[in-house]
Amino acid sequence: MSTSSSQAASGRRLPRFAEAAVERARLTVVPARSLGRTQAARTPFAVLVLVILAGGVVGLLMFNTQMQQTSFTATALQDRATELTARKQALDLELDGLRDPQQLAQSARDLGMVAPQTPAFVRLSDGRVLGTPTPAGGGDAVQVTPGPSKKPAEIERRTVIVEATPRAAADGAP
Amino acid sequence: MSPTRRSSRGTTHLRLRVALIGVAMLLSLFAGRLVQIQGIDAASYAARAESSGLVTLDLPAKRGRILDRNGEPLAESVAGLMVVADPQTTAPNADAIARILADRLDLDYFEVRDTLTEKDTRFAYVARRVPSTLASSVVAELREQELTGIDTRPDPLRSYPSGDVAGNVIGFLGENGKPAAGLELAFDDLLAGKDGRETYEVGGGNRIPLGDNTRVAPVDGKDLRLTIDRDVQWYAQRVLCNTVQTVQAESGVAVAMDTRTGELLALADCTGTEPGMTPAEVAEAQRKLVSSAVSDVYEPGSVQKVLTFSSLIDDGKVAPETKLTVPSELPVLDRVIGDWFDHGTLQMTVAGVVAQSSNIGTSIAAGQFTPQELHDHLTRFGLGQKTGVGLPGESRGLLTDASEWSVLSRAQIAFGQGLSVNALQMAAAVNALGNDGELVEPSIVEGRERTSSGQEVGTATATKRRAVSSEAARKTAEMMELVTTPDVGTAPGAGIQGYRVAGKTGTAQQAGGECRCYAMGGKAVSFGGFAPADDPRFTVYAMVNKPSIGGSGGGTTGPIFRKILAYLLQKYAVAPTGTLPPSIPTEWSTGQDLGVPSPSSLRPGQGEVDSEDLSDGADGTSGAPTAGSTTGSE
Repeated sequence: MSTSSSQAASGRRLPRFAEAAVERARLTVVPARSLGRTQAARTPFAVLVLVILAGGVVGLLMFNTQMQQTSFTATALQDRATELTARKQALDLELDGLRDPQQLAQSARDLGMVAPQTPAFVRLSDGRVLGTPTPAGGGDAVQVTPGPSKKPAEIERRTVIVEATPRAAADGAP
Repeated sequence: MSPTRRSSRGTTHLRLRVALIGVAMLLSLFAGRLVQIQGIDAASYAARAESSGLVTLDLPAKRGRILDRNGEPLAESVAGLMVVADPQTTAPNADAIARILADRLDLDYFEVRDTLTEKDTRFAYVARRVPSTLASSVVAELREQELTGIDTRPDPLRSYPSGDVAGNVIGFLGENGKPAAGLELAFDDLLAGKDGRETYEVGGGNRIPLGDNTRVAPVDGKDLRLTIDRDVQWYAQRVLCNTVQTVQAESGVAVAMDTRTGELLALADCTGTEPGMTPAEVAEAQRKLVSSAVSDVYEPGSVQKVLTFSSLIDDGKVAPETKLTVPSELPVLDRVIGDWFDHGTLQMTVAGVVAQSSNIGTSIAAGQFTPQELHDHLTRFGLGQKTGVGLPGESRGLLTDASEWSVLSRAQIAFGQGLSVNALQMAAAVNALGNDGELVEPSIVEGRERTSSGQEVGTATATKRRAVSSEAARKTAEMMELVTTPDVGTAPGAGIQGYRVAGKTGTAQQAGGECRCYAMGGKAVSFGGFAPADDPRFTVYAMVNKPSIGGSGGGTTGPIFRKILAYLLQKYAVAPTGTLPPSIPTEWSTGQDLGVPSPSSLRPGQGEVDSEDLSDGADGTSGAPTAGSTTGSE
């Protein structure tokens, strides 16, 4: 019975509940509040982005500046290291010069020292003297500076005697 | 109202259009310029940028040091700088700059001034290899006075802190920084290292942190450690050169080695430059100065006798006590062999022949050898072969094939004429007698190193081989002790009080002069030996070539030997062994037992032997004119 009546109804006009559905199908914007969301404030976000951007730029700038500064320091330190290395080497050279056997020998000679020509030793364990202890004398001294080199023939004074006859002299006179 | 609006709109349109055209033209201009810069002129701009901001720096590798056996530097590289000028900038202030440079760098003022005013160049060397502290301070001083145009560049400086010590062995670096001689040349591959290179961008003198940056690190050269002892080398050089100058000799060589290991403690050369030498001759002398101990050969003379006699003993042909009858002269083929001292017929033992250095006695004893036997024995002592020490320019000497020997040449070679050796060969041969009969290859480099020519040398590669038996070496050493024994031997001046010293004198004539004969050549006097004789530690060999004043093995080179040996014994604290030398008879007489040595009978007419007498009368083969004629000329 109810089936027949509904069929009859559909044949004539829209049922009342359908009208309501159609009425409901007219779409409207869902109010944000009904979905539980709030409208995001634009200003703080923009500020945040700007801050990050500015921070990045400033940070980069500072980083670059810092690196430049470090580079200056590195250059200065490098120069200093080079200078100190050079000074160390100069001092080493000076030290080597002082330790040069030639230098030592000359200093020893100036103190009047002479190398012994007869080695002799004292054995500490029993106090025995090994070898023949002989005092070194002036005759034992070894000449530590090489002797003067010979004068080259080129710088020998050569006296050239030219026999000048009176006639030649007369010719040469102005 | 409406016409006004239209006209205003028309003006706006016009303005926009004009602006658009203006902007378009400007942008086209920019675009055109962009194309020009990026497309057409790109390469030249890149080059300009590179030249202004990009720095390419050679990073010179530090050359390895050459050290002595105790690690003392004999050659080292230090940071040096070259001082360079830009003459276009310096020319206006040349006088002021030159004055400072000449003062501070010890240069010639006029030369510097010429350099600073050179035309058509922007680069000129003022000074090279200047110690960096000095160069920097000079440049700083110039900058203070606002004198521009002088700059520095890295230029490694080779320094020889011990001066001329071992200069003959080490060699040197030439003007261009390339090795010119000696070990610097022989071990260049090892010492040189590999240069690096660095490229980076600079701005205002500072490196740009994120700029282009490439770096190839330099590989520093390795150090070369020698067996040379700096102090011994210095002493040997001075002692040798004093003698060479005193006797007005042409040159001299002294070798000191560790008897057991063959390590060279000193290898000294001395070349006396003669007056009147041309620059070319001086240069030649300088070149020869480099290790002439291995490059120059000469006839060894009587030192050779100990090799002959040890070989004879080794073969059991003679013993130190073997009796020999030594005539006053010995005819061999067409020549007559004589001794350095006149004598009648002497009854000498083999030991006496060695002690008195008798040519005749040696020739008679060596007659027991066939030429091949003697040749083989001498080869075992290393004669005629390179020692393999690793110094450049080593000669092998000359020991002709036994098949070419006559009876005369066998007799002559037995006492050291008619063959040639270098000083190092002879030192090594004498050393074998001290080293229990074993010939040890001499070495000058510690460890194992490879020369630039690929030869491996050093103490680690030194080989030993037997030259004579231990017994023969010991007996020969005992005979050699007699040489330095006062009243018995030819060189009492070579002995050291308290020590047992074994040695042998040598005086050989050298072929030379225009005729390439002995008469025109000079003498080569030498002395070789070791101590303590019963437990040898050091072998010393000295040779003086062509002395003008006096000149005998005992009188001239004996004292060199003694001084160097005494220095070694003292420095290395080698105490005397405290044993007594065995008493070996040096003469014999019929109907009487072998007696103690009696000098009066050995050297008729002379009661005492002292070194003064010996310095005039040469010992050995050839001091006396008779020997000159007998040993012959070819």
